Amino acid sequence: MKLPMKTVAGGLNLPVSTIDRWIRQGRIPIQRSGIDVVFSHAALEKWAATHNLPFSLNGSQANDLPPEALESLVAAMQRGKVCHRVAGTDAVAVLRSAVDCIDFLSKDIRDELFEKLIEREGLASTGIGNGIAIPHPRDPLSRPPETPIIATCFLEKPIDFNAIDDHPVSVFFLLISPTVKHHLHLLSRLSFCIRDKAFVAFLRAHPDGAALFSRIAEFEKQLDDL
Amino acid sequence: MTGFLNKMKYPGRWSLFRSDDRLLLMIFAIIVGICSGLAALLLNRGLETMLEWLHHYRFYWWAIFLPAAGAALSSLFLEKIVNEGAGHGVPEVIYAVSRYGGLLRLRSSFSRLISSFLTIGSGGSAGPEAPVVMSGAAIGSNIAQAFSLNDRQRVALVGCGAAGAIAAIFNAPISGMVFAIEVILGEWSTMNIIPIAIAAVAGTEVSRLLKGNQIAFAHRDFNIHFHDILACVGLAVFCALVSILLTRALRSMHHVSKGVTLPLWVRAAIGGSMVGAIGYFLPYVLGEGYHAIRTAIEGGFSGGFLLVTVIALVKVLATALTLGSGGSGGIFAPCLVIGAFVGLSFHRFMAMVWSSVHWVNEGCFALLGMAGLISGILQAPLTGIFLVIEITGGYEVILPLIVVSAISTTLCHYLEPASFYLKDLVEQGQLLRPGTDARVLTDLSVQELLETDCICVHPDMRLVDFIDIVKSSHRNYFPVEDQQSRQFVGMIHLDDIRPYLFDPAMHHAVLTGQLMNPHVKTVSLHDDLSEVLQKMDADHIFSMPVVSYSRFLGMISKATLLDQYRKELMVQTGRF
Repeated sequence: MKLPMKTVAGGLNLPVSTIDRWIRQGRIPIQRSGIDVVFSHAALEKWAATHNLPFSLNGSQANDLPPEALESLVAAMQRGKVCHRVAGTDAVAVLRSAVDCIDFLSKDIRDELFEKLIEREGLASTGIGNGIAIPHPRDPLSRPPETPIIATCFLEKPIDFNAIDDHPVSVFFLLISPTVKHHLHLLSRLSFCIRDKAFVAFLRAHPDGAALFSRIAEFEKQLDDL
Repeated sequence: MTGFLNKMKYPGRWSLFRSDDRLLLMIFAIIVGICSGLAALLLNRGLETMLEWLHHYRFYWWAIFLPAAGAALSSLFLEKIVNEGAGHGVPEVIYAVSRYGGLLRLRSSFSRLISSFLTIGSGGSAGPEAPVVMSGAAIGSNIAQAFSLNDRQRVALVGCGAAGAIAAIFNAPISGMVFAIEVILGEWSTMNIIPIAIAAVAGTEVSRLLKGNQIAFAHRDFNIHFHDILACVGLAVFCALVSILLTRALRSMHHVSKGVTLPLWVRAAIGGSMVGAIGYFLPYVLGEGYHAIRTAIEGGFSGGFLLVTVIALVKVLATALTLGSGGSGGIFAPCLVIGAFVGLSFHRFMAMVWSSVHWVNEGCFALLGMAGLISGILQAPLTGIFLVIEITGGYEVILPLIVVSAISTTLCHYLEPASFYLKDLVEQGQLLRPGTDARVLTDLSVQELLETDCICVHPDMRLVDFIDIVKSSHRNYFPVEDQQSRQFVGMIHLDDIRPYLFDPAMHHAVLTGQLMNPHVKTVSLHDDLSEVLQKMDADHIFSMPVVSYSRFLGMISKATLLDQYRKELMVQTGRF
């Protein structure tokens, strides 16, 4: 396979001017066709290996997702469910009921999720004040979903969740992400919405799914316009 | 048709030459070896004829002005006609090899031949070897340029030229090869050794075809005993001391001559007439001195200890006068002459002190003295050993030869860390042997290390807007440019402004112009990387902005430098 200079420079992660100098100095194997310089892929790979130089043509790293590849909040919420009247008298019981709401996940995954949620609450409460908590596992699950999921749970009655403002919690946003990057992205968007006092009041009225999604979509539009 | 013509115009693109790089180099090595061998023989033959012709006039009083005329003409030729510096040319070749990939001018292929012919032919005390090395190297370099070869191949051909020239002038292929690699290139790699060996063989063959296969300085058989080898240690010390004396004499004469405010050719003429005056009384010191060496090695020199010592010292003076004042030629042959006389003098001394001991023939000590001087001055022990073995055909002296060469090189290295050829280059920081720190830093340029992923801000921006930019950047440095003129005005480093970033009261009250450091040190595109690193080390910083004509071009950082430095070093030191 013949390669142009720019591709070779990218593959070796060096500027074109260095490759240019190496050609002049005769340090890199080339083939000339007339005045043009071409590189043979096989020869270059062999040369890079003998010199211990990293050389790969698909240079972009897999976990370096471009921003548009990250999910929107609404999509993640729609994928999860909006559950009303989630029952339980203490934090553990409510978390169990909340996990069971996500009935499209298998029993094994739900059990693992529940354990990880309890573990995370043991470190510090995810109750962020204003009656809202965002329970989530500290690390992604062993078999994480391919796309992030947010389950919205309105509790039957407010419970003591050890929140930072010591107020009882009545709304859960249960957040499950395939990667930490997704998790941080969604968490940052969610906290932007929750900072709005009107939205907090709106949540206290336990709205239905459609109304909630349209409100969230408005916030996301504001965020994207920034 | 035009394509064919175009191809013919650039021989470097002929498919024959592009098929295999090594084959290509071998073919060129033969051509370069033959050409440089011919150049060497031309000068050698010319000098022999000239010296023979002038020999009849040596006894007239006006003969003392012959070297003056030769040196003056030689310096006028170099200065006014070909516009090249005086001196022997070897440091220029080494400099061209390390700095410009062996790029030498076409005129260098004949300029030193003519100038040294004038200097030495008229009786100046200098050697023809360095001029033929320069000439051979320039021939190799220009052949490489004509065929548009790359730097590496050109350097190999420069080595081929030097090897062919030395091999031809002494009928000594191994010395040519070892000299080219040890002194000129300073890099032992298969890529160089094979073509250089071929060129040395080609040069030697040319010499044998035209001059016959004769050993330059044939000698009688020597019967060497253990006590002779012990005595060599003393000889080596003597050789080292005389080497240092010669190096210092050459340099100080050069400084004295530089301090005189006369035109170069007048200075050369004064030096030349002084040499002529010395030569009137001691004709041994004139010319390249091959004849004197021959007599010394054959054991046919009749003078006593005092005369021999005086000749050795006066030869040092004559060589310093010739070369220091602006004459053109090398120090190879004078070294051999001085070495031979130092050897003789040491032999006479030993024979005087321990007259009962049966010492080996004095020719053997003359030969060992030659090796000692060459090894000491060039600090190239292998060149000294092989040269003396080949030009005398005396393999039986190998053991004392190694002892003398090794000790002389070590002592000289102790007293003068850089050899005669490299001293000036080392002082100017221009000795850049492949794979060394200095070479890697010289090859890399600021342009190649430029990091262009910085976001520029302008001085009238509020802190709150600046914070938005910080969010989208992954750098800690932010160059500040004037909005209208786009001129670089300063730099913001996140570490400096961290406390204000988290203070909402400041967000709308502070402008970036107030946060920036306007007195930041900058680097220009053409700065030397070693200087850039020195600046960074002095101020304990890891990154500096690159600014050219008041415009910000990017950042240069130690992290990127290390990454590139490592890759460069791996490519420079690895095999192709």
